[in-house]
Amino acid sequence: VRRGINAVNEVVPAHNIGSYVPMVDGPEKVSGRAKYTADLVLPGMLAGRILRSPYSHAEILEVDIADAVKLPGVKAIVTGADCDKCFGVLPVARTEHPLARERVRYRGEPIAAVAAIDDATAKEALRRIKLKVRELPAYHTAKEALAPDAVALHERRPHNLERDVLFELGNVETAFAGADLVREGVYNCAEVCQNQMEMHAAIADYDAVRERMTVHASTQVPYYVHLMLAQILDMEMSRIRVIKPHVGGGFGCRTEALNVELIAALLARKAGGCVRLVVNREETFITHRGRPETDIRLKIGMRKDGRITGVECECIQRGGAHSGYGIVTILYAGSMLYAIYDLDNVKYIGKRVLTNTPPCGAFRGHGTVDVRFAFESLLDEMADALELDPFAVRRANLLRAPTFTQNDLMVNSYGLPECLDWVERESGWRARKGKLPRGKGLGMACSHYISGASKPVNWTGEPHATVKLKLDFDGSIVLLTGAAEIGQGSSTVLVQSVAEVLGLDLSRIRIVSGDSEVVPKDNGSYSSRVTFMVGNAAIEAAQNLKAVLIAAAARKLDAKPGEIECLGELYRAGAQDKGLTFNEVVTEALKDTGTITVTGNYSTIPQSHGGKKYRGAAIGGTMGYSYSAQVVEVTVDEETGVVTVDRVWVAHDCGKALNRLTVEGQVQGSVWMGMGQAMSEEAAYHDGLMVTANMLDYRVPTIQDSPPIEVGIVESIDPHGPFGAKEAGEGSLAAFLPALTNAIADAAGLRFNNLPVTPDRVFAALEKRARDGKTNGGRRS
Amino acid sequence: MDALPQFELVRPRTLDALVAARAAHPQSSLLGGGTDLLVNIRRGIVAPKVLIEINGVAELRAITANEHELALGAAATLTDVAAHPDVMRHYPALAQAAAHIAGPTQRNMGTVGGNLCLDTRCIFYNQSEWWRDANQHCLKTTGTVCHVAPKSRGVCFATFSGDLAPALLILDAEIDIAGPAGQRSIPLSSLYIGYARQDEPVTESRGDGKYYLSLRPGEFVAAVRATNMPGLRSAYDKIRIRRSIEYPVTGVAVALRREGDKLADLRVAFTGTNPRPVRLAGTEQLCGGALDARVFDGLDALVRDQIMAMKTTFTPGHYRRRVAGILARRLVQRLFDASA
Repeated sequence: VRRGINAVNEVVPAHNIGSYVPMVDGPEKVSGRAKYTADLVLPGMLAGRILRSPYSHAEILEVDIADAVKLPGVKAIVTGADCDKCFGVLPVARTEHPLARERVRYRGEPIAAVAAIDDATAKEALRRIKLKVRELPAYHTAKEALAPDAVALHERRPHNLERDVLFELGNVETAFAGADLVREGVYNCAEVCQNQMEMHAAIADYDAVRERMTVHASTQVPYYVHLMLAQILDMEMSRIRVIKPHVGGGFGCRTEALNVELIAALLARKAGGCVRLVVNREETFITHRGRPETDIRLKIGMRKDGRITGVECECIQRGGAHSGYGIVTILYAGSMLYAIYDLDNVKYIGKRVLTNTPPCGAFRGHGTVDVRFAFESLLDEMADALELDPFAVRRANLLRAPTFTQNDLMVNSYGLPECLDWVERESGWRARKGKLPRGKGLGMACSHYISGASKPVNWTGEPHATVKLKLDFDGSIVLLTGAAEIGQGSSTVLVQSVAEVLGLDLSRIRIVSGDSEVVPKDNGSYSSRVTFMVGNAAIEAAQNLKAVLIAAAARKLDAKPGEIECLGELYRAGAQDKGLTFNEVVTEALKDTGTITVTGNYSTIPQSHGGKKYRGAAIGGTMGYSYSAQVVEVTVDEETGVVTVDRVWVAHDCGKALNRLTVEGQVQGSVWMGMGQAMSEEAAYHDGLMVTANMLDYRVPTIQDSPPIEVGIVESIDPHGPFGAKEAGEGSLAAFLPALTNAIADAAGLRFNNLPVTPDRVFAALEKRARDGKTNGGRRS
Repeated sequence: MDALPQFELVRPRTLDALVAARAAHPQSSLLGGGTDLLVNIRRGIVAPKVLIEINGVAELRAITANEHELALGAAATLTDVAAHPDVMRHYPALAQAAAHIAGPTQRNMGTVGGNLCLDTRCIFYNQSEWWRDANQHCLKTTGTVCHVAPKSRGVCFATFSGDLAPALLILDAEIDIAGPAGQRSIPLSSLYIGYARQDEPVTESRGDGKYYLSLRPGEFVAAVRATNMPGLRSAYDKIRIRRSIEYPVTGVAVALRREGDKLADLRVAFTGTNPRPVRLAGTEQLCGGALDARVFDGLDALVRDQIMAMKTTFTPGHYRRRVAGILARRLVQRLFDASA
């Protein structure tokens, strides 16, 4: 039975918000019909390949392509000499050439690229390119790069400091003096990569006659790719078209234009044709843009009742060889100390360091995760020391919404208390905590995240989001959006929003996304902005369409618009009126204008733009924060060091669950991703060569490693959110990490401040404890 | 990992045809499930021009298992071994080992022969061509140095990681080898020559991580056989970071026989630690008495002496070596208790 008809066969508005809605692009994906960039076959497509630097840091003396050019079948070779432009997502930090010029700064950085008639020829051509360099000292750790005598990777950044941040709001020294307990902890989180399923791919097609470039790219941000293509190619934006086919995940890895799509375009233009550049898994890893290795020194002052008096946090990120999002990442790490608990005195010292490793980027939970790990770990340790329940410590520091934080972040809805209640109840915390058998333990932690950055990185003054709806003679509504569906469900949520406003079944609406020739510009899928911003734009567009339809119905029914009742498939003037079918209303509406197009826009409000109390204080500003609380139950094998996650309870405040199916999926996915970072994943290097750039050694948890994950949805109904919604895709990642280590501390009396907590690390700690003659720390000491 | 390069695929239907194909193409590789070989080809680690697929030879797929004897054809799949009721019943360590190899998809494809002859592994070897090139290659390929032990003087320390071998070594299994000179049978333990002593040169009978199998040119493992020993109980356990797509951090097979309160027979074998699967020598000296501290201390001493986990995997060698001993202790205790 088609929804929109009730039990007695009357037409009623269809509703979908809050139910379990299968994804609108599901059928293509589960049947294998969905086309990803690498699946596309265009006429005359050439095979592209990249020559990558074997050196960590070297001055390029010569890239000799003479032999390679002579190889039959080679159509184009590009090197740094072909492009002197830089790219980079932040206008203030564009330092990266698509192909290295003068210097290479990490092992794997592109130096040259070939387009040839087939892959084997391209590969052979790469072999024939000769490289002459003068090696420079290489720095693979932040500490080495910060050494006083270190050579600068970039001349514009002496001392290899991409950005240092320092702010103090309130007075931390006084706050510590007024505390009953002051503790300091030192933490290290390994670098992690997203490892999304689809490897980076681009197909660039250059029309030499019309001087136009079309690029298909596996990206989260077609608009940023568009901007960077124009910059790199030195072409007018109007001559460029960017298409985003189906994309197999991103998690922040593709939140900026990558060298892959830019190199493909440079090759295509030089070859005067079409070039396919699909890089392999190792290259996808090396292109990187993951979460930086982070060292944190954190000091918290606490009163006996658990109230936090002051926080001092020093955070050093090994950013890699180029800026990328680095400045934003190091600022998030500081600003997002706030907006989860009520803090009056905070000092933050952040250092983003340039190193000879692949550039890092905006990994899911951008900037917040490692600091949250440290914060929640230290809270747990202090709760233990003060003999307070970890829940009580969180409850002693809750915000009262609506409010502005000390650093001027706007918090309107705040479901953290309900999240705490849910996981405490569902996990049986009060009855079970401290009473489990030896080797078993419970841990808890909280986290939060933004629903889109209130100020986009490219500030143009335009609305944040624009959605267009097209309605034509056939009665179908086409939703046009630049929002990038990357598997997270953005298309589904936008279709849902429009259908809900119009009271129609989802099947009336088709969505076209990700083709700059057709759809309105959108900033893309990152920082959990789509549901909130584009969702609101979709609602406004649907409301505008509804007004057009009501006006038409009123005219036809000889009534006033205010008298028209919209039932989705039926418009009528009062309950006794037989009314008009949707198609009849459409026919009437088209009489005026022909094909109807309406627009919906969304802009954030200035109050959400963050403050000006320190340089970069706008970072962290958002229209709404999601909140998460988690309880993790573990078993620690105290002989082998193997930790098993037995169960996870996670409550997420997403404002309003527009689609419970995808919200639960996102929250579970966040837990998995957190589990990977906490327990097994690490981008490790041997002399700057990534050792773990494959699916075997980079240990993403598999479904066989997944514990049961109980998801509780908390709906705080944000006043600005679309139907009250906030983000659901990132906020639950961070809490898993400290909840896990807190659970291990409970189970085995060992506290792990370094991630990932692999069996060998647990074992080493167990051995050390045995050597030191301690029996058992933690609660059982 | 790149697309597969060009190669010729030969698919013999009989054992004779397989032997002939192998003789005709001395540089060929045998293809079972391809779960390891194809990965290595795609990484440019090996580049055989000819692949000879063994799965079409019906007799190589056979599994015979009863209370007296066991025979596994080289092309029998790991899933078939793991799920075979008589393997599970009479040769539990073997069934457990097979059931815990990688994930279900690899087990459906992977074969007994492939797992027994599994190429040794090393983080400096199982990398792309570009990576190895940037790292000056290594002894196992075309390089002149072992990055795991730069002072090894020509000895490669790549690690053997097959799970089946230890479970078969504790049964004193034999293998049938086919080749141009006909068939021969040798103890399974003689197949593995990866001794890798830093102080000894690599010879034909005592090899290392590079020369880890005693097969002669054109030869291949056709089957593995074992007899059941009454009263012997066996089990397999391993550590791995994930429960799927993972080679063992370390794997241990134990078989023992208990007579009253005495340990009458003890066999222990390891994988994931040395360039060969190691059947622990000297365990018979631990037998004859009760299962007491003397046995466990003795076991620890044998492990310390014979298990040599190096920096060949991402998990530190120290841990692999220590946890190997711990798993062995646990299995011994568990099997002894279960034999009461």
